[in-house]
Amino acid sequence: MSGVVQCSLVTDRARTGCKGPGAAAWLVARSIPVPPSANSAIAWPEGGGVVARLGSSEFFIEGSAPQIVALDTALAGCPPGVYPVLRADAAFLIEGTGVHEVLAQVCNINFAAQDLARSPVIMTLMIGVAVLVLPEAAGEGRRYRIWCDPSFGEYLEHQLSVIIGAAGADPPRAAGVI
Amino acid sequence: MMRRLPQIADEWIDRSRPLAFRFEGVAYQGFGGDTISSALAAAGVMTLGRSFKYHRRRGLLSAANHDSNAIFQIGRLPSVRGDVTPLESGLDVTAVNTFGGLERDKAQVINRLAPFLPVGFYYKAFHGKRLAARWERLFRRLTGLGRVDLTALREPTPKRYAFCDVLVIGGGPSGLSAALAAATGGARVLLVEESARLGGNGLHGSSLDPARAATIRALAARVAADTRIEVLCSTYAAGYYDDHWVALAEPHRLSKVRARAVVLATGTIEQPTVFRNNDLPGVLLVSGAQRLLHRYAIAPGGRVCVVAANDQACEAALDLLAQGVEVCAVVDLRRGAAGEALARLRGAKVEVLEGWAPYEAHAGAGGALAAITVAPLGAGPGAVVTAQARRLECDALLLGTGWAPALQLAAQAGARIVFDESLQQHRATELPPGLLVAGRAAGVGEFAARVADGSLAGAQAAAIAAGAVAASAGGSVPGYAVSAASSHPFAIIDHPNGKNFVDFDEDLQVRDLENAAQEGFDSVELMKRFSTVGMGPSQGKHSNVNAARVLARKRGLSVGELGLTTARPMYHPVPLKLLAGRSFNAERKTPLDSRHTALGAVWMPAANWRRPEYYARSGVTREQCIREEVRAVRERVGLIDVGTLGKIEIFGPEAGAFLDRVYAGRFSDLKVGMTRYGLMLDESATIIDDGVIGRLGEQRYYFTTTTSGSATVFRELLRWNALWGLHCALVNVTGHRAAVNIAGPKSRAALQALTDIDLSDVAFPYLAVREGQVAGVPARLMRVGFVGEIGYEVHVPWSGAARLWDALVAAGRREELRVFGVEAQRVLRLEKGHLIVSQDTDGLSNPVEAASMWAVKMQKPYFVGQRSLRILQTRGPRQLLAGLEILDARLPRESHLVIEAGELAGRLTSVARSAALGRNIALAMLRPDLAVAGRELSIRVDDGAMVRAKVVPTPFYDPAGERQKGGVAA
Repeated sequence: MSGVVQCSLVTDRARTGCKGPGAAAWLVARSIPVPPSANSAIAWPEGGGVVARLGSSEFFIEGSAPQIVALDTALAGCPPGVYPVLRADAAFLIEGTGVHEVLAQVCNINFAAQDLARSPVIMTLMIGVAVLVLPEAAGEGRRYRIWCDPSFGEYLEHQLSVIIGAAGADPPRAAGVI
Repeated sequence: MMRRLPQIADEWIDRSRPLAFRFEGVAYQGFGGDTISSALAAAGVMTLGRSFKYHRRRGLLSAANHDSNAIFQIGRLPSVRGDVTPLESGLDVTAVNTFGGLERDKAQVINRLAPFLPVGFYYKAFHGKRLAARWERLFRRLTGLGRVDLTALREPTPKRYAFCDVLVIGGGPSGLSAALAAATGGARVLLVEESARLGGNGLHGSSLDPARAATIRALAARVAADTRIEVLCSTYAAGYYDDHWVALAEPHRLSKVRARAVVLATGTIEQPTVFRNNDLPGVLLVSGAQRLLHRYAIAPGGRVCVVAANDQACEAALDLLAQGVEVCAVVDLRRGAAGEALARLRGAKVEVLEGWAPYEAHAGAGGALAAITVAPLGAGPGAVVTAQARRLECDALLLGTGWAPALQLAAQAGARIVFDESLQQHRATELPPGLLVAGRAAGVGEFAARVADGSLAGAQAAAIAAGAVAASAGGSVPGYAVSAASSHPFAIIDHPNGKNFVDFDEDLQVRDLENAAQEGFDSVELMKRFSTVGMGPSQGKHSNVNAARVLARKRGLSVGELGLTTARPMYHPVPLKLLAGRSFNAERKTPLDSRHTALGAVWMPAANWRRPEYYARSGVTREQCIREEVRAVRERVGLIDVGTLGKIEIFGPEAGAFLDRVYAGRFSDLKVGMTRYGLMLDESATIIDDGVIGRLGEQRYYFTTTTSGSATVFRELLRWNALWGLHCALVNVTGHRAAVNIAGPKSRAALQALTDIDLSDVAFPYLAVREGQVAGVPARLMRVGFVGEIGYEVHVPWSGAARLWDALVAAGRREELRVFGVEAQRVLRLEKGHLIVSQDTDGLSNPVEAASMWAVKMQKPYFVGQRSLRILQTRGPRQLLAGLEILDARLPRESHLVIEAGELAGRLTSVARSAALGRNIALAMLRPDLAVAGRELSIRVDDGAMVRAKVVPTPFYDPAGERQKGGVAA
């Protein structure tokens, strides 16, 4: 492997989601930015969060715990055409000069070829686990946010640490990242 | 005898780095850069192993990992490919296919039994049942390439995905130029070469044309300097799959490469000349000798004879002469061949026998080549004039009579492979878009033409990758095809005593193939399967073409008319460790996993989850633990983690209509706050899943699926939703929600302490669903009866699971709550006669057979599987699920068979000892006429003994369901 890689567990953020024909308008009405197209993301500046559009009418939202609690509370009121999506994803941030070598061992997506200008969000499989991947610029290189079903979190964390560890890089560590 | 020569230009070895190793217990020394094979060759070791069937001595043949002669065992590592495995200090190498050592192999006697081992012997041996087992044991003992150490630890290896614009396979002259041209065209290029260094056979014949070496050096240097080109040496393309997806076997990992365009510059593989004893150590391919010479500075022998049918063979003789190796004769199958190489050989006073062929090789005292008999070619293919035969003393015989292009990958990619009579070799046509073949693989022979051909192919590939030209513009580049064939049409010489081997892997002689055809296996595919030609480790690289020539002669057809066998991955044998990789096996854990561990959980896999089978207690057996867990639920209260159940929400005005379609029951009329059991069928009416569907609101349902079915069921639901376009939305919260089941007569008391929800039967009746707080965690509660006692499934978000669990355990302490695992749950539900989909049903079971029609509403307008179920109802069941009471003390096991009048009449699907009932009970799928209450049956157990059972009604326990409905107090 050609470089150092760090993988961190993102533990200081909460997540939620919503879908339905009224979801986009509902988010806009709450001053939450909405990506214009599916499979793309947009920063949620307030609180350093992110909103990912997973389909024409489905959204994944990560933010601070108070922000997410407020959203969940509002969603529990069953706004018309908006359906809550419970998200308790495990979240990772992986970065470093060898990050693409690590990702190449767990996923068949060519992450290096992703055009960051399009703010892509990739829904794919990573060693058998459905994940959501958000590439971001990080200095000269890139870093990747990865979310997965929490029941797979420990497995994915372990396998990433094995792969990274095999190259002498840092295995995943819990940290408040971002 | 082979020997190391003084240093030569461009050699691969590092003479300053001697490496000591052992072979068959004898100490040798090689150099850094040597392979195992080359080091042995340099040490004069002629016999590397024994052949697979006859245990004949075998020596170095191709020096390219194309043959099976140089396969070794190193310690517990079998199938080490000596031609490409780098020599390391301290290696302890042994030969394969020997009993008692290489020299004293006891099995070499089999060579004398060859007349009694006809083609297809393996198949014929198994014709009769009587001796089949004995033959199997014998074959297993005698065959195999080395020993597998079953105690060896797994060695995880990386697998990776890789991407490039242009993948160039082959690092010879055309491959190098293709890579450079593609890079110049702006492509990111991956260049793959199976040897340890680039260059291919570019240095071969350099004594005739020194410019070749300079060209190769220059190309390799430019490739190394080009940052757009990544080079992988010691790597071979093992398989070619759809859309230019190529598996690359590197020494320590497998790379799965996706390319936009691919250039196959895979070259040609030299084909052995076939004549009696052509497998003796000391007989090797011209290309093998050239590799030994130019890479490792090894002379193939002290006195060399060359069999030729092309210029490359003559050039090899010149190269050897240039290094001071004696070449005693060139036996040229051609008549009147011209060319500069041949002229120079004549000038060097090398005897050239035109129109002659080798007839037989003779072994010396050590079993290696000592002489050959040659004779003029006679009338007809394969014939020689033995009356004029001559004996030539030599210790090395180089075979250079033909080539086969390495088009296996092209064939795998979908190209059509045809035989070119003028070239006497196959060519790839009708290439799939984006695939190009260049160089010798495309039939381009001259060195300069190969370089130019590669360059054109590389440029075209780059254009395709960039989208500048249509991918369909692929194909070999015209204009460089050689006009002269470099392969003899029939370099196969008959001999009355045989041992003229076509396939070295399988010890197949000419007459074996002819006999196969005689027995009716007279197509290439049939002959392959019957004779096993091409089925050994070299996968026919040296035998398929010659075998086709033999069969073509036998049938009076041309090779082209005969066709070729299908080329399938893998191109070379791939180490299993590379295929296994890191053996990823995604395992899911519930948020309560650590709680279970702390409680002594003994884990079991349940689909891709790990679940507690039971909770171990010191000094208590597994059975006793499970029994106590069952009793706790029956008498007090038990708690189980059921978070592995699939959990799905559906929203929208047509959510109920959607559920009516996907489940066999009706749910649009379900009252808010209630649940109902649901059975899911596929379109053939086979039961695929079941679960509990709860209605949380007018447009909001929450339902569970089986643990194993959650992912596939959700996928199927999404598919139906997309097809039907109903106004509803599905959300899979399986992993995001936790769930526990607290059950038993005291469960209500334990749970009530943690929630404001009124749990009384009036406020919260059986099958109701409620939302509220439990232990401060937002929860959904479902009143269920799966285990046959009053019970509540409590579903909470992942983040609240541990808090809920801890609170329930604490609250239940006064009620002597006991956690229970999957095994106890299975016993409990079996006592109730509740089926488990995919355990008590199989891939054909329908609701009629599973006695589940009560959960089906046939009068609905439509549900998935309804039409098939109607048809099945008219046909009657094939089997029926029924309850059994085991009458004998012995407990059968699940899957044991029910036997009636000596015939198979059913199988047990679930079996358990019920402490609550004081008897052994089971569920079984039975022939319908047997599924009658009171009917006695016989069950055959493992040792063949018969156990008696009687059909009884279910549920076995609490048939009226009073305990789960009314919460009967303990």
